[in-house]
Amino acid sequence: MNAIIVSALLGVVMMFTGIISQKKSVHTAVASVGLLLLLLANLLNHYGLFVIHVDTRGMFNFEQFGMYFNSIAIFATLVYVLLSGKTIEHTGVSTADFYALIFFVLCGVSILSGFNGLLMLFLGIEIMTIPLYILTGADKRNLKSNEASLKYFLMGSFSTGIMLMGITLIYGATGTFTMGESNVIGSGGLIPKTSFLEIAGAILIFVSMCFKVSAAPFHFWTPDVYDGAPGVFTSFMATIVKAAGFIAFVRLYENNTAMLGPTWRILLSFVIISTLLIGNITAVFQQSVKRMLAYSSIAQAGFMLFALYSANDLAKEGILLYSVAYSLATIGIFAILIKMKDYTFDGFNGLAKSQPLLAFAMAVCLLSLAGIPLTAGFFAKYYMLASVVKTGGSLWLVVIAVLFAAVSAYYYFRVIQAMYFKDGEAELMELTPAFKTGMLALAVLIILVGIFPTIVLNFFYF
Amino acid sequence: MGTIQILFYFLSALAIFSAIMVLLSRNPVHSVLWLIAVFFAISGHYVLLNAQFLAIVNLIVYAGAIMVLFLFVIMLMNLNAETEPRKHIWMKLAGVVSGGCLLMMLISLVRQAVEMGGKKAMMAEGNIGLIKNLGHALFSDYVVPFEITSVLFLSAMVGAVVIGKK
Repeated sequence: MNAIIVSALLGVVMMFTGIISQKKSVHTAVASVGLLLLLLANLLNHYGLFVIHVDTRGMFNFEQFGMYFNSIAIFATLVYVLLSGKTIEHTGVSTADFYALIFFVLCGVSILSGFNGLLMLFLGIEIMTIPLYILTGADKRNLKSNEASLKYFLMGSFSTGIMLMGITLIYGATGTFTMGESNVIGSGGLIPKTSFLEIAGAILIFVSMCFKVSAAPFHFWTPDVYDGAPGVFTSFMATIVKAAGFIAFVRLYENNTAMLGPTWRILLSFVIISTLLIGNITAVFQQSVKRMLAYSSIAQAGFMLFALYSANDLAKEGILLYSVAYSLATIGIFAILIKMKDYTFDGFNGLAKSQPLLAFAMAVCLLSLAGIPLTAGFFAKYYMLASVVKTGGSLWLVVIAVLFAAVSAYYYFRVIQAMYFKDGEAELMELTPAFKTGMLALAVLIILVGIFPTIVLNFFYF
Repeated sequence: MGTIQILFYFLSALAIFSAIMVLLSRNPVHSVLWLIAVFFAISGHYVLLNAQFLAIVNLIVYAGAIMVLFLFVIMLMNLNAETEPRKHIWMKLAGVVSGGCLLMMLISLVRQAVEMGGKKAMMAEGNIGLIKNLGHALFSDYVVPFEITSVLFLSAMVGAVVIGKK
């Protein structure tokens, strides 16, 4: 509850900062301090210290899993603001308002990690996505940014409509906003005898959630939106927001899969395989690194969906580790990408010669996304696959996932190849020493998590 | 068949017919007018379900304010046959296939709906949809979502300002 209240208040504070001070560096500084405060407030919540006591009347269910994800999301946002804050300042006129919107997104994230019932799920998703529509269109003079924003808005509203239809059907069937309330009436047969409205509702909500996390076949908006949006905000969308979507997804279907019966696994494995297939194969053919990252984020979503498939404790640990590994690596890659003048693969030619430190940090991030051992991404993928193995009987799915992980190495290594083994003049905007130190710290953090994944997971149990 | 049932079937038929006409009308202005008819029919349903306040709000907000906005926009855009985007035949086919899949899913679910047959909407208490009871529910059980909605509106307003600024 702390995180929800404090982030909403900090959003208001940011707006006032925009009035009081015109200096954009002040806005970034205030936002960073605000994020630290938010992190502190959320950590205090772990130990039962509240800003104000609120009787939520069962609307929220704050458990360790969601609270810990909150801390991860806030920490990742802090890293993101520290690394890319300068670029946010250059993106548009209203820097303070952008930060305010980012705080509102975090408010939505905190709702999604603690919701209990479909009403709060809907509110959380809306609070998270509406600021994103604006951030996508932040670069108002750029036609591509405008197009991306409008596309995202229209498609997003449509999928929200589908979700509302699902919620309505479930409410009509059970009279509550809690999924799986009526429970399985009688077992046996392929389809359990749950109310038909509830099943229809659960499927519609599933479709809408798949859209929100850009799982195939509902992924069509992702490449255009991620490519058209200003790079800084793509970085935010593709990491923290996407991970939050998965946390909501996992929490929503955690105890309700019995209702959908064995068909649930068939449906889900179809979605997982098509997501991995489309994401990885299309990423291979891209010429722009930014667009490649958009497809790679679809491919990574395929891996994160395994947490939904196996739905056990290992999967919960796995999704947390995955969101850390994936968010940190993608934030790092985007932080460098938005400093580049040329977003194509050729734009990276010879980066290792002119900027060896940045090239190293970028290589570590890319290796982590590919899931090479000694980086955080390896254990993230390992936990996901191990959780599927633990459920038993789905070994073919693991084999397919490993094959696609191998495919993904191809396009990640293309960037590394361009940086280290090709000659050229990679052009960058001006860099501060602080940025370079930050990138190095990020790379060290990724390697540290890759060697001792328990440092992330241990916190989960405190 | 009681009066309520006759009214129910009449309103349902009206709603479905108008909804189909929204899609079939060639003239976009006619589509909007048919949409208003849909909203009136649905408001009638709300009254049947004893949700009087909701019925009035639905009429004022949707049939009134939003539809007027719709009409304005459509008339300003000056749509005609030439400006219509041409749809590829494969696109149409894909639309029919995916729509048909959804229809099949819903029909297959409705076929198992034996247990829903006897259930009826709650109509016994006449005052359940009054504004007093609605306010009571909003500010007791649903006060947290109600307050959190303000964050949603605030972020939407900030967004509007950000987009509107030069």
